[in-house]
Amino acid sequence: MSAQTDSNSPPRPGWLRVIAVGRNPRVTLIRILILVAACFVVFKFILLPLRVTGISMEPTCKDHSINFLNRLDYLAHEPQRGDVVGIRFAGPHVVLMKRIVGLPGETIAFVNGEIFINGAPLAEPYEKNPCDWTLPPEKIGPNEYFVVGDNRTMPPQDHVFGRVERERILGKVLL
Amino acid sequence: MKIFWRLIFCAAVIALGFWLWTAIFPAPEKVIRRRLEKLAANVSFAADQGNFSRLAGGESVAGFFSTNIEVNINVPGHEQVTFASRAEITQEALAARERLKSLSVKFPDVNVTLAPDKKSAVADVTLDAAISGGHDDVVQELKITFQKTSDGWLITRIETVRTVATFRFTIAAPAVASLWRGKPVEFVASGSYGVSMVICRRLQL
Repeated sequence: MSAQTDSNSPPRPGWLRVIAVGRNPRVTLIRILILVAACFVVFKFILLPLRVTGISMEPTCKDHSINFLNRLDYLAHEPQRGDVVGIRFAGPHVVLMKRIVGLPGETIAFVNGEIFINGAPLAEPYEKNPCDWTLPPEKIGPNEYFVVGDNRTMPPQDHVFGRVERERILGKVLL
Repeated sequence: MKIFWRLIFCAAVIALGFWLWTAIFPAPEKVIRRRLEKLAANVSFAADQGNFSRLAGGESVAGFFSTNIEVNINVPGHEQVTFASRAEITQEALAARERLKSLSVKFPDVNVTLAPDKKSAVADVTLDAAISGGHDDVVQELKITFQKTSDGWLITRIETVRTVATFRFTIAAPAVASLWRGKPVEFVASGSYGVSMVICRRLQL
């Protein structure tokens, strides 16, 4: 009886076909379509893949490394101190990567390479390259953040840093 | 079933008509985007490009600008560029072809805002330029003003947009300047904008 049932059942697909298209090609196709759609939505609108060019965020982000920018992170809360963020120019295709060190309304100053927020020194465990920057206190606007790179070995005039408007911050960089 | 195919046919005809209409009469925003793409292509030149095509490309750049122009491009770490006439633009475009091995200019992000009278428009663009021999690419946000003329949309003004507001070096310039070793006071007091920036480009899917 059991031998009869086996002979009536469809033949088992070959192992090569199973590897290529699965046991059920229709289900495999649906899975592929769902996966492609999910990847498109995630990497187009939520996690933007970025290729880093430049050295001012070293050693946190190496030149030519690949990172992801999470655009949903700041929907629930505002950017925090210590966050590495993507800052847009005219659009999202080229962004500036910097670390937030000053929050809205604070006063920031550099004294012998150390950052002072409202007169108190800021602990920066991520800062591996000591610098000797000394810059006068600067008041950050109500809708602004103060951003700077982690690599401060160059003179300050050779480093892009300063106040950015909140609307320019696209999202948080995943490290 | 016949009605279904008729509806499909009607939808296809409407779509084709719409496509033809937009192809023949493109929206001003689209025209400006195309102008910027062409401008970037004409400003750019490759190392292996022949002298004749280099010369032709350089001379054609001025055609994108109006006769009365105000161009002020201040890119961090580079000399400030100002132009007031088409002749100056042609001269600089040709000089750049002499001076540099290659130059690749792109506008990866373009946002066009049309004036209510539809006679002028402002394009907020990201300039991304790769210069031969340069360590980092030049990336700068620019505001480009277009005017509609009988010759099409022409550029009347280019100004630099500050993405990051620089530290105000001028507040205590002499005191701060004295802390720098080997840097002249004037340079510090000028409030120079930085050059070392981490630029990230979106990987295209």
